[in-house]
Amino acid sequence: MATAIAWRLFWRELKRGELWVIAFALFLAVFSVVSLSGITQSVKSALEQRSAHFIAADRVLGSSQPFDEQIFALAAESGIASARQMQFDSMLFSSAQMQLSTVKAVSNSYPLRGDLILQRSDNLLTGEAGELVPGTIWLEPRLFDLLQVEVGQSLELGNTQLLVGGVIVNEPDAPLSVFGGNPRAIMHIDDVAASGIVQPGSRISYRYLFAGSNSELDAFSQAVTPLLTVHQRWRDRDRQSALGSALDRAERFLLLAGLLGIVLAACAAAVAASRYSQRHSQAVAIIKALGATTQQVRVIYFGHLLLVVLFSLVLGLAVGQVALTGAELGIKHYVGDFRPEFSWRPLWLGALTCVLCALLFAARPLLRLTVTPAIQVLKQPLQQMTIDRLQLLTGAAAVFGLMWLFAGDWFISLGLFLICAVFVAILLGGAMLLVKAAKPVAAGQSSAGKLALANLRRRLWANSFQLITFTLALFLALLLYFVRAELIGQWQQQIPPGAPNHFLVNVSEAQRSTLADFAAEHQLQTDTFYPVVRGRLVQLNDEVFREEATKEDRSEQRTGIGRELNLTWLTELPPANKVIAGTWFGSDATAEVSVEQELVERLGLKLGDTLHFSIGGQAVTAQLTSIRQVDWNSLQPNFYMILSPDLLADFPASYITAFYLESERYQLVNQLSRLMPTVTVISVEAIIRQVQDIIAQVTLALSFILIIIALSAVLVLVAQVQATLEQREQELAILRTLGARYAFLRNALLLEFTFLGILAGIFATVLAEVLLLTLQQRLFELPFSPHYALWWLGPLAGAVIVSLLGWWQLRKLLRIPGAVLIRRVIQS
Amino acid sequence: MAKRVNLTEGSLTILHDISLTINRGESVAIVGASGSGKSTLLSLLAGLDQPTAGEVYLAGQPLHQLSEDQRAAVRASQVGFVFQSFLLLPALTALENVTLPAELAGDRRARSRGLELLALVGLSERADFYPSQLSGGEQQRVAIARAFITRPAILFADEPSANLDAVTGQRIEDLLFELNQQQGTTLVLVTHSDALAKRCQRQLKMQAGRFITEEQ
Repeated sequence: MATAIAWRLFWRELKRGELWVIAFALFLAVFSVVSLSGITQSVKSALEQRSAHFIAADRVLGSSQPFDEQIFALAAESGIASARQMQFDSMLFSSAQMQLSTVKAVSNSYPLRGDLILQRSDNLLTGEAGELVPGTIWLEPRLFDLLQVEVGQSLELGNTQLLVGGVIVNEPDAPLSVFGGNPRAIMHIDDVAASGIVQPGSRISYRYLFAGSNSELDAFSQAVTPLLTVHQRWRDRDRQSALGSALDRAERFLLLAGLLGIVLAACAAAVAASRYSQRHSQAVAIIKALGATTQQVRVIYFGHLLLVVLFSLVLGLAVGQVALTGAELGIKHYVGDFRPEFSWRPLWLGALTCVLCALLFAARPLLRLTVTPAIQVLKQPLQQMTIDRLQLLTGAAAVFGLMWLFAGDWFISLGLFLICAVFVAILLGGAMLLVKAAKPVAAGQSSAGKLALANLRRRLWANSFQLITFTLALFLALLLYFVRAELIGQWQQQIPPGAPNHFLVNVSEAQRSTLADFAAEHQLQTDTFYPVVRGRLVQLNDEVFREEATKEDRSEQRTGIGRELNLTWLTELPPANKVIAGTWFGSDATAEVSVEQELVERLGLKLGDTLHFSIGGQAVTAQLTSIRQVDWNSLQPNFYMILSPDLLADFPASYITAFYLESERYQLVNQLSRLMPTVTVISVEAIIRQVQDIIAQVTLALSFILIIIALSAVLVLVAQVQATLEQREQELAILRTLGARYAFLRNALLLEFTFLGILAGIFATVLAEVLLLTLQQRLFELPFSPHYALWWLGPLAGAVIVSLLGWWQLRKLLRIPGAVLIRRVIQS
Repeated sequence: MAKRVNLTEGSLTILHDISLTINRGESVAIVGASGSGKSTLLSLLAGLDQPTAGEVYLAGQPLHQLSEDQRAAVRASQVGFVFQSFLLLPALTALENVTLPAELAGDRRARSRGLELLALVGLSERADFYPSQLSGGEQQRVAIARAFITRPAILFADEPSANLDAVTGQRIEDLLFELNQQQGTTLVLVTHSDALAKRCQRQLKMQAGRFITEEQ
């Protein structure tokens, strides 16, 4: 019977609007979680899919040993697409010339991600689209000049002859190294055997490319990893790249934003549940007086909660899913081949959030409600919303639980939770101080302003919780708005308009003047010329390294030894570099070297070490006097080792420089290649465009999250004002009876909310500024710079938003005729 | 029995050594000024609250020894209430308000009995109306119908006509006594009104938590 009553009361309460606030708060929690988690995942997955273009696959397994067919068989069984790729350096011979080139041999299914664009032409601007078929080879533009070959002519590679198919316009996984390396060519993997290139001991890099859904790939890599030999290794996407770094930053920020949304929704749920309980204490007393046991009352009211949870859950999941689908369509707009992947995670996360919110925020007030004694039926119902310690404790536990659930990281959750706790403590202290300060001002009630102040003071004292949630809501909205602006600004700064998008590598001393003339003729602004000398590190202090480590003991040798290094000499510290240990050498320094931090760690170097290089057969010795941190995202030429000018100035060097070229003047690159065939032109235009696209996508996602946070903030404010409705109704009835006029009451109400808004705005501003400055220093590593706009925007937004919301909700109450209001109050 | 409450300023005695027996089928009025302790006495008699000292027996049950839930069970089977401010649940219709105590007691024929009682109080046509759609008098008639649905042995009425105008109040009083007579219920009535009190067989006058006079 009690369940029937619970069901009937639930629908009636829902229809009467009694349960809407709590239902909406829970809905909001589910919706925020589903959409935020889903969208975060989608954006992440879009970014990952985008970055997959840079490796031509979703996952890549690299190996120095020939392909293991068992792995491909396993992939086929798991329904995962695969492709093969081999890469080796070899001489290409034309009838006129020969050239050492890097040849990539690929299977038909290459690339699994991104596009391989080939054109039947010797330049990038003309020609029909071509296709990689056995018997053909496709060349980088400069190879046509270097080999003096034309489309349709044949090239010799090992024992085989291949026809030149045309030019490589886009190779998705081409290495992005400003040091270029050999010119590149692509051939079909079926021709490799005939070439006889693969011999025992040949240096060939084998790559297994895989593509599929994340879940399939995860399962597959778990199955494959135990089978791998020491020669096979999963190659992660390059986390050091500008793209990887942008991805990390976006992920961290979206996560943070998600957490903030949940805290707000949780607040709304807590407020709504407390209000619901407070409003129903009389009903419980009546039911108990009529003979209901506590057990029956629990069935009725927890039945309500269960039904509200189910109702909000279903609605939240459905609407969240719709928002997610909309967002996925939006992402598709940017990433044409974006493949949304269905994931249960946002759904169970949403469901768990809803249940957690309901249990830890709403259950406690409901439990208190169900123990309302029957005698309450003869007493005046309490109008004040009260919060007990246990509720605060369960609420705090819920917030922490949700943070952990959503962040999946103890450190972040604990940090954020402690910050929130400190904020709440500061706010409570601030609110209480203000109560004391407002007391003398609020004495007497002769004007609307004084009544507003008196109301504010009374409500602040009784309900500092309201100020805290207003502040929290404003704080989150302000924080997100400014962090978003900061983040976008920082990203844009990383690739400012007009940043060099073409690098020229291997420029000889003699070519510098030709290049200068070319630049002047075409009004190109060339960057600094960085000299490059190739050398080998052969000895560290007394430890002599072998010239070439054998395969057997290669693993024992320090990583990075034995390879040729690009060395430079400079007197000025390059812009994207920071000395973190030692001192940068001046122009008159002798025999000094500065090494990049990661290389220092890899080689186990320390300041004062003596490094011996072999450059063109000559020995050069330098002392390590500084260690540099290098921003590899800067898209500037960066060096691991910089030597003092006295050591290298006399060696013949080649130069690296960079310039910015608008896409419509791209043909200049071809002209330049013809003018100086030995110079390598590397365009980073594609990667810059991709990073800019990602910034646009993330900005869009952030705007969406900002809207959700703002919506959550508004809802918390609404829930808060709603929670005081009964009390206000009663006060208005008294004031009306005492003859207060409409204009007076309206002004008092507006002023009360304006004061409250300004107060909350000031609190929110201070807190937001503190956190922004902390984030600025710690997370974004930016110089200290206060946010002046925040200081007027915060209080103004607080005043306007809070007063408008208060007015919007209470205007109807003000218009109710005094007699009706009094009757309503008496009846309730 | 006695009732004391502890306040921050000290202890306040609301009822002083009250001794009272109400027989089956009797109608008793408790009268007195505001603050005299009438409502507190009613709450103890009905088992809504516990006395600080003394014993309360209702239909042979020692209410002073029972837990809140055990007292609720006694109320469900023995007691009906009519309150000054009607105390209907706003989310339920008139009929559902009437049937609520019977449903809580698990009575499967609650609906038909509810309709009968609504007809008795002249509100058959208002069965599906919500309290907010009813006048004060109509709401109190619904409350009276609710009070009788479980065929209680004893009915407690707390100022049943105080919130109504004179004419409506008179009608409600008539209805209450009429139904009480029909159902053979014991009636305990708390009121300010001497006229209403006089309609009961016994009148107990209270002042400062004590009976000062008793009239038959």
